[in-house]
Amino acid sequence: MPDQVDYRWIADDPDALMMLDHAGKVLEWNDGAERMFGYSRTEAVGTRIHELVTVPGSEAEQDHFIAETIELGRGTFEALRRRSDGTLIYVVISGKVGQGGPGELFLLFSEKDVTQLKVQRDSKSLESKFRELLDSMPDGIVIVNPTGHILIANRQAEWLFGYERDELRARPIEDLLPQRFRGAHKGHRSHYFSAPRTRAMGAGLELYGLRKDGTEFPVEISLSPLKTEETPVVMSAIRDVSERRGFEQTLQEKNLELLAANRAKDHFLASMSHELRTPLNAVIGFTGTLLMKLPGELNPEQTRQLEIVRNNARHLLALINDLLNLAKIEAGKIELNFELIDCGALVGEIAASLRPQALSKGLELIVAMRSDPIVVETDRRALSQIIINLVGNAIKFTVHGSVRIDLALDKAGKKRELVLSVSDTGPGIGEQELSSLFEAFVQGQASRTKGVEGTGLGLHLSRKLAVLLGGELSCTSTLGTGSVFTLTLPEP
Amino acid sequence: MAARILIAEDHPASLELLRYLLSANGYDILSAEDGEAALELARRHPPDLIICDLQMPKKNGYEVVGELKSDPALAQIPVVAVTAFSMIGDREQVLAAGFDGYLSKPIEPEEFVSLIEQYLPLSLRQQHGGR
Repeated sequence: MPDQVDYRWIADDPDALMMLDHAGKVLEWNDGAERMFGYSRTEAVGTRIHELVTVPGSEAEQDHFIAETIELGRGTFEALRRRSDGTLIYVVISGKVGQGGPGELFLLFSEKDVTQLKVQRDSKSLESKFRELLDSMPDGIVIVNPTGHILIANRQAEWLFGYERDELRARPIEDLLPQRFRGAHKGHRSHYFSAPRTRAMGAGLELYGLRKDGTEFPVEISLSPLKTEETPVVMSAIRDVSERRGFEQTLQEKNLELLAANRAKDHFLASMSHELRTPLNAVIGFTGTLLMKLPGELNPEQTRQLEIVRNNARHLLALINDLLNLAKIEAGKIELNFELIDCGALVGEIAASLRPQALSKGLELIVAMRSDPIVVETDRRALSQIIINLVGNAIKFTVHGSVRIDLALDKAGKKRELVLSVSDTGPGIGEQELSSLFEAFVQGQASRTKGVEGTGLGLHLSRKLAVLLGGELSCTSTLGTGSVFTLTLPEP
Repeated sequence: MAARILIAEDHPASLELLRYLLSANGYDILSAEDGEAALELARRHPPDLIICDLQMPKKNGYEVVGELKSDPALAQIPVVAVTAFSMIGDREQVLAAGFDGYLSKPIEPEEFVSLIEQYLPLSLRQQHGGR
């Protein structure tokens, strides 16, 4: 240890004083240094200065200070230093060389905290260059130096945070943050200067600003590093997103309400279906057992009246079925299961099941299609429901003649489409009725005058299903000659 | 000997209808008006077939079928859901839950017995193959 040094002088000095060897290892460390940098003498002595107060990445700068001081015998430098808690300060360093024992060289660094001074100086210099430009920006802009001090805040930033003109200058940026974010922010901030890049701050996090009056508001912040002549800085663009957050929250609440309403509607539909069917089960069931004469013989009038009861109960059931299906379609609750369907086979099955009904009226039911399979990708249930409805209608409304089903796969541009038509020799539909034929509860004149049964929902449902399948359902008709209903389904 | 059919059904008119139709066809009927009672009865007098409503007090049809199918002594008894839940998708849900069959209400009395008999072995059918 060199004798020439006055240790008391070192200990008492208000500035940070440190003695280093030529490699930067700390030999002495006074109370001022402890106060300024946060490391105790015991921690500091024996450690290289590079590992204590040098900002990571500027070790070469530290080497340069040492080399220049040794070369010239003295030196003055300005530097950014890192405190033990990670925060940065600006210092002015005065270096001197001293001689210890023979050939033994040491350096004496006296460091003074000039952060406030530098903040004032840089702020003034940046103000004159950028203030006017920044005031013209729509967002709040705050320029912050590595020590976390505001060098410039534009008018919008002052207004956002509720400060008077120039009141923000030289304040620590943490003044604009709610207390709970401050600790973490200091760390992030010092970190940012070691690897600065343009980015949104706290992506995915809810950030808040703190107004002068203590109130908070949600913000969105983007950061851009900027190299100025004076110092590296970071420019933060700050936007008040209270209004947007408000909208988002309202939307979210509305969505939840809709979801709940939807669920309630589903539940209501399922319950209504269940509750309507349960009593009908007894009505149709016991009418059936009576008509089956299980409890005993019936006279012809009793049989006739019971059949009226049963027909009307079945009609009511058909209505319930159609209404509920319609409600499900309207609510978008029909789940379609698209798969490859052999439409020829499907039409064959349906024709076979409806043929007895046609024959009992003396009608011919004709199916015309190619012999090879006609396979399309569609939903079996929806497709059969449409075909059953069309063929059933044709049989119902035709008094003599025939019902004919034509099935073909046609070219429609690049794609192919399934064309299924059901023609009858029925009474036909007048032009006026034709226009509203697919609306709910509209039945042709024939059904009303001839007392044909129907819910008035069949075609309405069929067209909805056709549209769900990506196709169309249309009708052409000539009064007195018959009608043709055509379903076209393009390949998906 | 007539096959024994257990009917689990909480709606009195529906229960009476099912009981009437099946007894008229010569079946021996046990009945329960809630799921718990049905399970108890099934354990005490294992039936040849179970007809089960879905919406019932104490234990619903899904719970009943779940317990039946996980009980080795009862798992092989066919269980047919007869329910007023007959919206699109209900059949699939019922079969997926372990029921052997699904019939929707209102039932067609003329067909009901022969439909139910499909779940009984030939030797136990009264109509021997239906209509």
